[in-house]
Amino acid sequence: MTLPLRIKAPLIFFPALLLSWECAVWLAGAAKIMPYPSGVALAAIRDIADGTLIDAIAGSLRRVITGFAVAALLGVPLGLLMGLVEPVRRALDPIVDSLRAIAPIAWIPLALLWLGIRGNAALFIVAYAAFFPFVLNTIQAVRLIDRKLVDAARALGASPLLVLRAVVVPGAVPTVMTGARIAMAFAWGSIIAAEMAIGIKVNPGGAATVGLGQLMVSTLYVKRDINGLVLYMLSIGLVSLAIDHGVRAFQRKATPWQR
Amino acid sequence: MATLTTPKIEARSVSKIYVSARTGDKVEALRGVSFSMKPGEFVSIVGPSGCGKSTLLSLIAGFATPSAGEVLFDGKPIDGPDPARGVMFQDYALFPWRTVRGNVEFGPMARGVDKTRRAAIVARNIEMVGLAGFEDRYPHELSGGMRQRCALARLLANEPDMWLMDEPLAAVDLQTRVILQDELLRLWGDAGDPAQRRAVLFVTHGIDEAVYLSDRVIVLGRRPGQVKEIVDIDLPRPRIGARTAPRAAALIDHIWNLIRAEAAQAIVEEP
Amino acid sequence: MRVMRPIARLAEFALALGILVILWHLLSVRVANATLLPSPLAVALAWVELLRTDLPADIAASLVHLGVGYGAGAALGLALAILCARSAVADAIVDPAMELLRPIGAIAWIPIAIVFFGIGRGVPMFLIFYASAFPIFVNTLAGVREVDRNLIAAARMLGASPRLVVTHVVLPAAMPLVLAGARLSLGVAWAAMVAAELTGADAGLGWRIFWYQEFFAMDKVMAVILTIGVFGYLLDLALRRLQAALTRWSADTRAEAA
Ligand SMILES: Nc1ncnc2c1ncn2[C@@H]1O[C@H](COP(=O)(O)OP(=O)(O)O)[C@@H](O)[C@H]1O
Ligand SMILES: [Mg+2]
Repeated sequence: MTLPLRIKAPLIFFPALLLSWECAVWLAGAAKIMPYPSGVALAAIRDIADGTLIDAIAGSLRRVITGFAVAALLGVPLGLLMGLVEPVRRALDPIVDSLRAIAPIAWIPLALLWLGIRGNAALFIVAYAAFFPFVLNTIQAVRLIDRKLVDAARALGASPLLVLRAVVVPGAVPTVMTGARIAMAFAWGSIIAAEMAIGIKVNPGGAATVGLGQLMVSTLYVKRDINGLVLYMLSIGLVSLAIDHGVRAFQRKATPWQR
Repeated sequence: MATLTTPKIEARSVSKIYVSARTGDKVEALRGVSFSMKPGEFVSIVGPSGCGKSTLLSLIAGFATPSAGEVLFDGKPIDGPDPARGVMFQDYALFPWRTVRGNVEFGPMARGVDKTRRAAIVARNIEMVGLAGFEDRYPHELSGGMRQRCALARLLANEPDMWLMDEPLAAVDLQTRVILQDELLRLWGDAGDPAQRRAVLFVTHGIDEAVYLSDRVIVLGRRPGQVKEIVDIDLPRPRIGARTAPRAAALIDHIWNLIRAEAAQAIVEEP
Repeated sequence: MRVMRPIARLAEFALALGILVILWHLLSVRVANATLLPSPLAVALAWVELLRTDLPADIAASLVHLGVGYGAGAALGLALAILCARSAVADAIVDPAMELLRPIGAIAWIPIAIVFFGIGRGVPMFLIFYASAFPIFVNTLAGVREVDRNLIAAARMLGASPRLVVTHVVLPAAMPLVLAGARLSLGVAWAAMVAAELTGADAGLGWRIFWYQEFFAMDKVMAVILTIGVFGYLLDLALRRLQAALTRWSADTRAEAA
């Protein structure tokens, strides 16, 4: 046993934790009111086999991606404008700041009213959440561009257009990408919140499970399946891990000059 | 048309005042600076920190315009940057998202040189500075000395008439600096035909470096920056291999005495 | 000059805000439906009325949620980070546990929290607690680990005891990152709070939003939303001030405050 501590300790601790948790639940006869590892595993097999889980994840992801794209399409140009034109930035900064301080989910009643329950309200919340990281990071990106690089390009004979294309844009990409990563995380967090809020509000007993959030609500109030809830929770974590890895991998590919 | 007697650069009573956009404060960076440079001449600018060396260089590069006076290049007023005046920046300003090849290629590409000729130019210049084999590295994968060479190759690839260099050797260690000084002299044509040489305006902190490399040294004083003295470096060429001439030591002493008091002052004042 | 600048800034802000309000007003006139889009005036009136009636209690409820949850979360994050910095075994267990839990955002815990705490004030408190623990943990640990070894060596060389090194070198050096984590935490916690109050509580600003929605009192809904924005902004501003005051020596903070 010469494994390093960083591997050995968790290798002993976590299985022991799961095992004692399982035993404790059964010994206490609390399997009806407490989640337990084997129950979660069974729920996973059940929900993966009948497609419930995959469908719900796909439903949520679809809206996340659409909302994310809308946020990028609106946020990046606004960020460019604010980053390049100082008076515009100074005027809009406090407004952006105060709108950003409104938790996206707070808009849900109005979003429901304006866009309806069939997914578009959730889309609005997602886009709202993802919008601000794009704006803020694009502003940062433009402001951080090294003046010397612009000068260097001009001294080498670059036209303004070439400066924009070959210096400003690649110079801004890494910071905007970081914004995209944050935006993606926000988007995923808020789709769940939005779907849950919609699920509770609109269809407490219904079966319209179009996303993970709604699935959780119906599992909570209709099926009352705690192990299922834990499974969905873990799935949310896994998906957000996968998203973050995906975005990072893309980022590395797209900006190979970054160390 | 520039004739043989037209100076490469002529600065006439140049002043530069910076006005802060936020506070409205004014900084007089240069006052009444006049000098001229012959084609093929190697001129250094030395002076304490903050005396306006970079400012002067940026006026000649065309990044900024003088507040008063004028700067002529080949007899014509300078109007914006021009590939004929190649610039090497203090920390090189290499494009981090372009490889060595991409950086060297940038100038020819910007000037619209076609792909095949471009490739030849790039290969020749990378070879010339000794970076062959490192074409596909990004700047962050290079050592300080290699970055410096890359910046030099980028400058040379545009075949500029004149090299403007802002402390190009400040960021490398002492041994590398000595090697790069000799390499710079070799590329410039220290041992060759004076008619083949480019004019070089070389900003440096190092008085010994200025004396070793230059035909003349412009000594700037500070607050505001003005010419204290223009020192002729009457050392014979080629100089590669002849670093420790007694005459050089005397010149170094002379220049150091001109700026010693102000350099001490600059330490206290510069943030 | 010094006195002019804040005033000029305020004027710019007022101008932008004015334009926004006018646009909103014109839009509401065009929509001509007080439920779909209440006019700014209606919202302002609703706000004034709410401030005299329901709103103070809701604000107080939300601030209690925030105070309890954030206090406990920050304390846990700090404690775990210091534990991890001091003990290799703790680090080997806590670090992967935190890495596993972190991707599961606070919001994913809402249903479980409802099961265990029931609809009520436990849900937002737990969510805020959970949301705020991570950024503080991560930043504090990073801050403590990234302290320049040379600074510690210098303090030792000058005769500092290990304890003095912690209190006078490690903690101050880590402070900018800790406070940055605290600000990050607060932002996440604020959003989690509203979501939790909306879905699983019976008090607070988030809960109040749905309450008025039941009556389709959209002017009041909007007034509550604006209140959420104002308080979120003020809380962040307060932490930013604290950050600037506590880390005056740091070049980063100065640059940001300027
Ligand atoms: N863009 C600028 N705006 C305002 N002041 C400047 C600017 N650039 C340089 N300065 C000021 O002008 C003076 C000369 O600067 P610089 O030319 O960089 O000196 P050097 O290169 O000799 O160290 C300094 O006091 C510096 O602070
Ligand atoms: Mg300089």
